[in-house]
Amino acid sequence: MPARENNNNKRLEVKLGRLKLKNPVMTASGTAGYGAELAEFFDLSKLGAIVLKGISLTPWQGNPTPRITETRCGMINSIGLQNVGLDAFLREKLPFVRQWDVPVIANILGTSAAEYTRLASALEEAGVDGIELNVSCPNVKEGGIAFGLDLKSFASLVRAVRARVKKPVLIVKLSPGAPGIEEFSRAAEGEGADAISLINTIPAMAIDVNTRRPLIKNRIGGLSGPAIKPIAVRMVYQASKAVKIPVIGMGGITTGEDAVEFMLAGATAVAVGTATFMDPMAVLKVVQGIGAWMERHGIKKASSITGAMLT
Amino acid sequence: MGFSAPDIALPKAEPGQFFMFGVKNCEKDPLLKRPFCYFRRRGNTLEILYRVVGKMTSIMKGLRPGDEVEVLGPLGNVYPMAQAVCKTPLVIAGGVGIASVYPLIERFKGSAILFYGGRSKKEILLRKELRAISKKLVVATDDGSMGFKGTAVDAARDFLNGRNPDDFVLYSCGPNGMLKAASALGIQGYIASEEKMACGIGVCLGCAVKTKEGYKRACKDGPVFKTGEIIFD
Ligand SMILES: Cc1cc2nc3c(=O)[nH]c(=O)nc-3n(C[C@H](O)[C@H](O)[C@H](O)COP(=O)(O)OP(=O)(O)OC[C@H]3O[C@@H](n4cnc5c(N)ncnc54)[C@H](O)[C@@H]3O)c2cc1C
Ligand code: FES
Repeated sequence: MPARENNNNKRLEVKLGRLKLKNPVMTASGTAGYGAELAEFFDLSKLGAIVLKGISLTPWQGNPTPRITETRCGMINSIGLQNVGLDAFLREKLPFVRQWDVPVIANILGTSAAEYTRLASALEEAGVDGIELNVSCPNVKEGGIAFGLDLKSFASLVRAVRARVKKPVLIVKLSPGAPGIEEFSRAAEGEGADAISLINTIPAMAIDVNTRRPLIKNRIGGLSGPAIKPIAVRMVYQASKAVKIPVIGMGGITTGEDAVEFMLAGATAVAVGTATFMDPMAVLKVVQGIGAWMERHGIKKASSITGAMLT
Repeated sequence: MGFSAPDIALPKAEPGQFFMFGVKNCEKDPLLKRPFCYFRRRGNTLEILYRVVGKMTSIMKGLRPGDEVEVLGPLGNVYPMAQAVCKTPLVIAGGVGIASVYPLIERFKGSAILFYGGRSKKEILLRKELRAISKKLVVATDDGSMGFKGTAVDAARDFLNGRNPDDFVLYSCGPNGMLKAASALGIQGYIASEEKMACGIGVCLGCAVKTKEGYKRACKDGPVFKTGEIIFD
C-alpha cells in the first residue's frame, strides 16, 4: 500500500522552477487563510503547495460588510486584503503551517516597490519556499493593482523583488485586467520570475433589484468561481504560449477535470480557490480527480498533461 | 417549518453552533452552502428551522424524505451557559433567530424568560413548544397581530423596568437592528450574529463582524459574541 502511494506521488509530481510539488494542486491565496482552518479538515502535506493569504507590512483592516455575495455559478468578494501584517505572520502564522511537509508559498502585497522588497526579504529569511507577488487585487486601491495594469511599473517591480529573492521561487500573479496578457507574462519572465499565476478575480458588480442597493458594500468586488473558468482557461492558454516558465492556472476549478482542462491549456500547476468555500475538502478532491483522469486516459505523468491540448 | 437530516456521524452540536447546508448539484447553482443554526435533535435526526427567502431555501422546501444533502458542521462557538446558574437567562429572539436560542432554552430547563419578536403573527413559530420549555414567553409583533405591539426588545425593556439588570444574563439572536437594541438594554450577556457567510470555516473572511478588537469572523470567532464586543454602525 505505501509503495503504491509513493508511486502515485511520483506520478503526480510537477516542478515550479526549483520547487518540486508532490502534485500540481495548491490552494489559491485568500482561500486557505494561513493553513490552520484547513488543517482541521485534512493533512496539509497532501497538497502540492499551500499558498497563504496575502500579507502586507502592517496589518490591513479590510472592507466593511457585506463583503460577499453569490451570483450565478460564482461569487463576488470584496474582502479588502484584510491581513495580520508581516510581524504577526512571522510570529504566529508561519510556524504553524511549517509543521507540515508541504511547500509554503507566501503571497505579498504592498503599495510601493519598497514595501514589496522588504516583505520579500523578510520572508526569504523566514524560509518560505515561494513568494507570490500579488499585483492584481482589485479590491483596494493600494492592492498593487497599479503595478498589475502598467507594464513599465510592473516590470520594474518584478525586477526589484527578483534582486532580493534568491532561494524561494518567485511567482508573479497577473491581473486579468492587464492590457495584453502576453506582454505581462513575457515581462515577468524577462525580469526573472520563476513562474506566473493567473487569473485573479475579475472586477464585477451585483445589485439587489428589490432594495436597489449594491449587494456588497464596496459596490465593486472580484468575481470568482465556475462562472469565470472559460476566461481563465483562455488567459492561461495565452500566457503559457508566451513564456517558457511554468504557469499556475486558476479560476473556477472545482473538479479534477477542471484542473486537467487548465493543464491542457498550458498550466503546469493549478490552484483551487472558491471551491474550498463550497467544500473544505475540495483541494484534495481535485488532486484525486486528476489522478482518476490520468488513470482513465492511461497517462503516466501529470507533467505530461501540460500543454497537451490536441488541435 | 422544520427540516431534518439523518444524523450519520452523530456530531454533537451545542446551542449557538450552526451547520453549512447544501444540495448536490452539477450546475453549481447555488454555488455555496448556506448557514443554519443547530435547532434541535430528535432521536437520530438533527433539525434545522428555516424560512424560505431565496435560492437555496426554495430548493430545501422542495426536498423530500430520502433526498441527499450535504451538511458541514457543527461549526462556530457556543453560548456560554455558566452565568445562568446564578442569574436568570433573558432571551431575546427575532424571526428565525429563534432557531439559535431554542436549544439553549431547552438546556435551561424552564428557567429562561423569552422575548420573541416577528413582523406579524405569521412569523411566530412554535409557540406551544416555546411556552412549555421556558419560564415565561412574551411574544411581540410589529403590527400587534399577536402579543405585545412593538419589538421584542421593547417588550424586554418594559419587563426590566424596576428590575435589576444584574440579575439577568442576556442571550439574543436576530437581525442586526435587534442585536444592537438588545445590547443597549444594559444587561451583560451574549449575542449571536447572522452575518452572510461563504465558507463557514474561517478562510474567506466574508463574514466579518466589526468588534472592538477589529474585524472578527462570525463563523469561527463567533457566531456568539459578548455584549459590547460588536460595534454596530
Ligand atoms: C450563523 C447563521 C445561522 C443562520 N441560521 C438560520 C436558521 O437557523 N434559519 C434560517 O432560516 N436562516 C438562518 N440563517 C440565514 C440563512 O443562512 C439565509 O436565510 C440563507 O442563506 C438564505 O439562502 P437562500 O439561497 O435561500 O437565499 P439567497 O438567494 O442567498 O438570498 C435571498 C435573500 O436572503 C438574504 N440573506 C441571505 N443570507 C442571509 C443572512 N445570512 N442573513 C440575512 N439575510 C440573508 C439575502 O440578502 C437576500 O435578500 C442563518 C445565517 C447565519 C449566518
Ligand atoms: S464565512 Fe468564510 S470566514 Fe466566515
